[in-house]
Amino acid sequence: MTTALRDLISNPNTAELELIARYGMQPEDPRRERLFEAFAQIGLPTRRMEAWKWTDFKAALSALDRPASQSASDPLASEEALCFRFSPDGFEYPKDLPEGINLFVKPEPQALGSAEDVPLGALAAALAGSKTRPGTLMIEVTAADLPRLHFAFSGEGEASFARVTIVVRPGAELTVSESYLGGAGFLSSVFEYSLQGDAKVSRTVYQRGAEMETMAATALVQLEGESEYTQTSLAFGAKLARLETRLVHKEAGAKATMNAAYLVGKGLHADITTHVRHGARSCVTRQMTKGAVLDGGTGVFQGKFHVPRTAGQYTDADMQHKALLLEEGAVVFAKPELEIYADDVECAHGNTCGALDANQLFYMRQRGIPERTARALLTEAFIAEAVETAGDLKDILRHVASNWLAQS
Amino acid sequence: MDCCGGIDEHEDDCTDVKVKDSIDAGTVEAAKRLQSENYSAGFSTDIEMDMAPKGLSEDTIRFISAKKNEPEWLLEWRLAAYKRWLTMEEPTWAMVRYPKINYQDYYYYAAPKTGAKYESIDDVPKEILETYEKLGIPLREAEVLLGVEGAAETAATARETPRVAVDAVFDSVSVATTFRKELEKAGVIFMSISEAVHEYPDLMKKYLGTVVPQSDNFFATLNSAVFSDGTFVYVPKGVRCPMELSTYFRMNAENTGQFERTLIVCDEGAYVSYLEGCTAPMRDENQLHAAVVELVALEDAEIKYSTVQNWWPGDEDGKGGIYNFVTKRGDCRGDRSKISWTQVETGSAVTWKYPSCILRGDDSVGEFYSIAVTNGRQQADTGTKMIHLGKRTRSRIISKGISAGKSNNTYRGLVSVNKKADKARNFTQCDSLLIGDRCGAHTVPYVENRRADAQLEHEATTTKLSDDQLFYVRQRGIGEEEAVALLVNGFVREVLQELPMEFAVEAQSLLKVSLEGSVG
Repeated sequence: MTTALRDLISNPNTAELELIARYGMQPEDPRRERLFEAFAQIGLPTRRMEAWKWTDFKAALSALDRPASQSASDPLASEEALCFRFSPDGFEYPKDLPEGINLFVKPEPQALGSAEDVPLGALAAALAGSKTRPGTLMIEVTAADLPRLHFAFSGEGEASFARVTIVVRPGAELTVSESYLGGAGFLSSVFEYSLQGDAKVSRTVYQRGAEMETMAATALVQLEGESEYTQTSLAFGAKLARLETRLVHKEAGAKATMNAAYLVGKGLHADITTHVRHGARSCVTRQMTKGAVLDGGTGVFQGKFHVPRTAGQYTDADMQHKALLLEEGAVVFAKPELEIYADDVECAHGNTCGALDANQLFYMRQRGIPERTARALLTEAFIAEAVETAGDLKDILRHVASNWLAQS
Repeated sequence: MDCCGGIDEHEDDCTDVKVKDSIDAGTVEAAKRLQSENYSAGFSTDIEMDMAPKGLSEDTIRFISAKKNEPEWLLEWRLAAYKRWLTMEEPTWAMVRYPKINYQDYYYYAAPKTGAKYESIDDVPKEILETYEKLGIPLREAEVLLGVEGAAETAATARETPRVAVDAVFDSVSVATTFRKELEKAGVIFMSISEAVHEYPDLMKKYLGTVVPQSDNFFATLNSAVFSDGTFVYVPKGVRCPMELSTYFRMNAENTGQFERTLIVCDEGAYVSYLEGCTAPMRDENQLHAAVVELVALEDAEIKYSTVQNWWPGDEDGKGGIYNFVTKRGDCRGDRSKISWTQVETGSAVTWKYPSCILRGDDSVGEFYSIAVTNGRQQADTGTKMIHLGKRTRSRIISKGISAGKSNNTYRGLVSVNKKADKARNFTQCDSLLIGDRCGAHTVPYVENRRADAQLEHEATTTKLSDDQLFYVRQRGIGEEEAVALLVNGFVREVLQELPMEFAVEAQSLLKVSLEGSVG
């Protein structure tokens, strides 16, 4: 079995061989086999693949369980939230859950969803859980006014994988947050969100990692009925960090807002990738991504709107990416893409890249504000727009961003 | 069907094309006029041809080289390219789909039997002269002096009509080059590339393949191996070329490929405006066109390169048409040099073309203005690359894509700012318009920025025009939509009007196209 898989991956590197070995330790299951094969067909994504041309996991990830720096602290953790903690040993979850949240822990991989469409999503789905005790978390939400669900991921020196499936029933509402805190050579998760009827979800993602760490957080989102999905991400990057969202509007009238901010320092790389398919009429997507990058850092934004013929009519979609290169040596790559087959739609995209406005800086400096502070203030104001959608968590995100700016 | 490329939404057989109400009627009409049934250049010329044996091998390359009596170094250059080509794979990343091409099924050389180049215009076979006349390209200098087809009846209008020197390429050979003598007086070299190989070997050795290297890409490498004819232009130091130069490419013979190669070198402080036009007969088979164009602009030089591409697009059902795989690149080698590409793309079944600028010299400028209209079952994947290497380099990209019928139109562009490109500047604007609900419009812009002081903007909506301009027009009492149309179209109209009249027939009809109802 594993020999066959090794043959699937061309020139496997050490990390890929370790992944195959890790798969070999799991109990046999046809669904797991299908998922892992979907990953093995491609292997760790490389720059030769169009969707990964700026984020090459194969080159960055040479070995899996590398001792890494300590995981970052978690600003989104709160006693008021229901916390789910994921580590290489599996996951911990609150024992008492309020009515309206039903939790199912499945030891076997699940066949639902489309995790196999994304290589690192398929990998996370196949290896979810601990080395010896695999598992998928499934959550059903049936009520509104629930406490926030918070998911925290840290590696503690070992690679970890997670899969969480959340179904939000018609009329239900959910606030959810995810923190990716590093601590291992490799961390990969896949979240599947299914919103039914007029369900509402507000999702906040926080990512922080160090120079030796790679992480990939993949979300697959399906919107049915007139549901509303709001996503706000704040990424600080790692050796490689990719936050990828693939969203499908499945029924007419769904609304999605997907904002993101990245703040990237020396030696780090943050990648915000989104793919939105307008598979039903009259759906709305609003997307604003803002980034600020320091010397030696790399920011990547890849966005795509896909509007199919007939089904996608009356789409209203807007994608904006704005990046600040704060110092020489900063690098920003962007690809805001449109693929449109329906004629009565509004799809806009915009992309700007540059330095802080010299006039604004001058204005602040002549008011007696030191240059460093002026730069930090302007950058914070620039980034703030993108995290505005995080609801109660927006102040925390702004605070973390402003601390980072003050220190850099 | 074994296919290259990938578009995931294929046409069903529904023939009704509905156009939404907000699309301007004039735009729909203008697009219809460009449909294949109205293709006026679709006739073929009956003339005896001298062909290379069908297929591609080292022998074909030796045959072409021998026909042109080429020096050994060029044959070696071709053979090296061929060897490399054998190891390369056809690119599949573009959003175009076509049956796998059998490269052995084409003729790689076709020339009129009476010879390639004629001593005097009177020796050019009647059929060929008639062909160009029919296309509106008079090759007799006297006629050119009088302007086009009676357009300049009086001496006064003749003086005002700008003169255009033409290099006429018929299948694989250049058949006539007008105004050569007069251009020589100004020191401008304007001749077919086959002649230049013999007359100016040093210039050819110095510049050939320096902008688009042999190994650049699959189609450019194929061209390097089998290129037949094309134009060579050299404008010496400080000379402003006294007239517009142009090449008119005509593909006539059946099952042939045209592989021309154009090289334009503008020395320090020189200026040239060059225009290229192309048409082909309506044939049921797909013909192959893989050209390479290299531009070199030295210090303070400026090259303006305009194209009206009107190759046979195939019929409404997608039968026949030209596969147009072209590599065009300009190198702003000197400081303060400028290269400007203008293209009007209405033809070809499949277009794969990205005229680019390497902005190497400090303060150099690159421009790309494009209008691509697809109809029937045409597929166009076109755009540009602006590679900023020098300090304070500036580039501007304006692209309008209009898709009608069951066609697909993709803008693909790269703006890349290198670490050393201090204060680089780019502005990109691309708009797409879909006429009907059976076509596709796609935008794939790539931005790679490695400079903090670079300023890059990309916009793809009609509402994102400069606020100041909009405000100015609106305060004069003009409604927002009209103001936007005025500003966008006004700009494009200005570009098109710079095209010399005789090639601008297709372009002129595009002026009626408006961007109302643009999708992004």
